[in-house]
Amino acid sequence: MISPVIVTEHLTKDHMSHFLRKRFRALDGLTLSVDRSETYGLIGLNGAGKTTTLKLLLGLLKPTSGSVSVLGSPGGAQQTLRKIGFLPESPHFYSYLTGAEFLDFSGKVFGLTKVECKERAADLLKMVSLTEAAKTAIGKYSKGMMQRLGIAQSLINDPEIIFWDEPTSGLDPIGRRDVRMILLKLKEQGKTIFLNSHLLPDVNEVCDRVGVLHRGRLVGTDKISSITGGGSYQDLEAYFLECISSSEVKV
Amino acid sequence: MNAVLAIALNTYRETVRDRVLYAFVFFAFVLTLAGILLGSISVGQDLRILEDLGLATIAFIGGIIAIFVGTSLVYKEIERRTIYLIVTKPIARWQFIAGKYFGLALCVFVVTLAMGSFLLATVYVVSPGHIINSLLLESLVFIYLELIFITAVATFFSTFATPVMSVVFTLAFWLIGHMGQSLRQLGHLSASTTVAKFFDAIYWLVPDLSRLTTVRADLMYGRQPDAELLFYLVSYTAAYIILLLSFATVVAERREYQ
Ligand SMILES: Nc1ncnc2c1ncn2[C@@H]1O[C@H](COP(=O)(O)OP(=O)(O)OP(=O)(O)O)[C@@H](O)[C@H]1O
Ligand SMILES: [Mg+2]
Repeated sequence: MISPVIVTEHLTKDHMSHFLRKRFRALDGLTLSVDRSETYGLIGLNGAGKTTTLKLLLGLLKPTSGSVSVLGSPGGAQQTLRKIGFLPESPHFYSYLTGAEFLDFSGKVFGLTKVECKERAADLLKMVSLTEAAKTAIGKYSKGMMQRLGIAQSLINDPEIIFWDEPTSGLDPIGRRDVRMILLKLKEQGKTIFLNSHLLPDVNEVCDRVGVLHRGRLVGTDKISSITGGGSYQDLEAYFLECISSSEVKV
Repeated sequence: MNAVLAIALNTYRETVRDRVLYAFVFFAFVLTLAGILLGSISVGQDLRILEDLGLATIAFIGGIIAIFVGTSLVYKEIERRTIYLIVTKPIARWQFIAGKYFGLALCVFVVTLAMGSFLLATVYVVSPGHIINSLLLESLVFIYLELIFITAVATFFSTFATPVMSVVFTLAFWLIGHMGQSLRQLGHLSASTTVAKFFDAIYWLVPDLSRLTTVRADLMYGRQPDAELLFYLVSYTAAYIILLLSFATVVAERREYQ
């Protein structure tokens, strides 16, 4: 039996504005599950609630109601954090550290030895084409370089589950192609991958299944194979727009 | 422990590589040298004035660094969203807080050491024959003790308040700590028992720092304070630091990271 490794049940999150104490429902009764070794893409318009979902899965936010489980533990549990990798949306780093220093730090936190840290960091830097900038302060990195470093640090512990929030944002065409290649390689290794994106061509190429999030609700979910049948992303676009417009009609 | 050390190292690097720090240390050097001028005006007293002013400068500049770096220590991580990459790794909140704290405490140590060495060197240049009093070194230790206490207060506030608010809270805490005894006596002068009780409560809540000053004054006048008192002060301050960091951990555990 295939067991789901990521599960949310009726997950709801209200954001509270500081001044007026007004509630805003960013996520409304989200129920989804992702199986081991599956690549799941959460797609949706800006402000749909994708990042909010990811933050709940990682324990950065606490649910207003409903529940989250990753590898059988609630979001943010220490034993789960050992086995996952996270790339936040436009990641931020300590500007005075160098890229290599941050990777070294990440490796140490996961209990890697000095030698392991060094080898792993060198491999990852090469993978994201940052070898030359390894000894430059991160404060001097471009947006795309920070994105690449974010990808590298998320893989330092050879994670079982990968959570990436818009991995291709800010990347040049070659960078985007590199990320697709990395994703396909991770897939081959049997990793579970949870992606947030609104770039449908990328999603079409790498995901097994997608969920469409609209105004905090899951308005559609299906296998890529049955949506596009391995064909062009335009079918995915049609599916996406269809899901959104039919949910608007219901409201 | 690995995680604590890794975060401490990051924090230390981050603070030590900030140029503002050097401006402060430079300013401290200038103030120390000003002690030579002041000392030369008052006959016979020059070394004493140089030492007094030097120590006061170290306490003052060290305090400014502890307060201004400390109050943004955790807040900056949240504001700049660097914390996303920290708390989503297997790092417990207490490890994060302890690591940030030790990193800054180490930075303050290095700064105190630099300013202290400069003072000793200045004393030596002014009067090469002068034997450096061990009490001067002891004074430095007690200044550092107070600085790491202030650092803990600032760290605590920075887990939930903006830096500006934290600076205000930390300064208030520090001031009450030094004047608690007087405030309490003031409260007891009032006719109302409520007022007296209020000041009593504040006195018990905020640590009594005036004893640190007393010890420093003693050292300055060449009197070696009672060993028992020193032991008491060190353990009292350490206990308070642990308490503050525990509170900071609780706040960090309960809050969300937007
Ligand atoms: N801290 C916050 N306080 C108040 N509202 C928030 C907060 N964070 C997010 N929101 C709101 O919640 C909704 C969902 O935001 P979220 O960041 O999850 O969207 P998203 O799907 O990731 O969008 P994008 O594609 O632009 O990244 C938005 O309407 C946003 O305004
Ligand atoms: Mg987002």
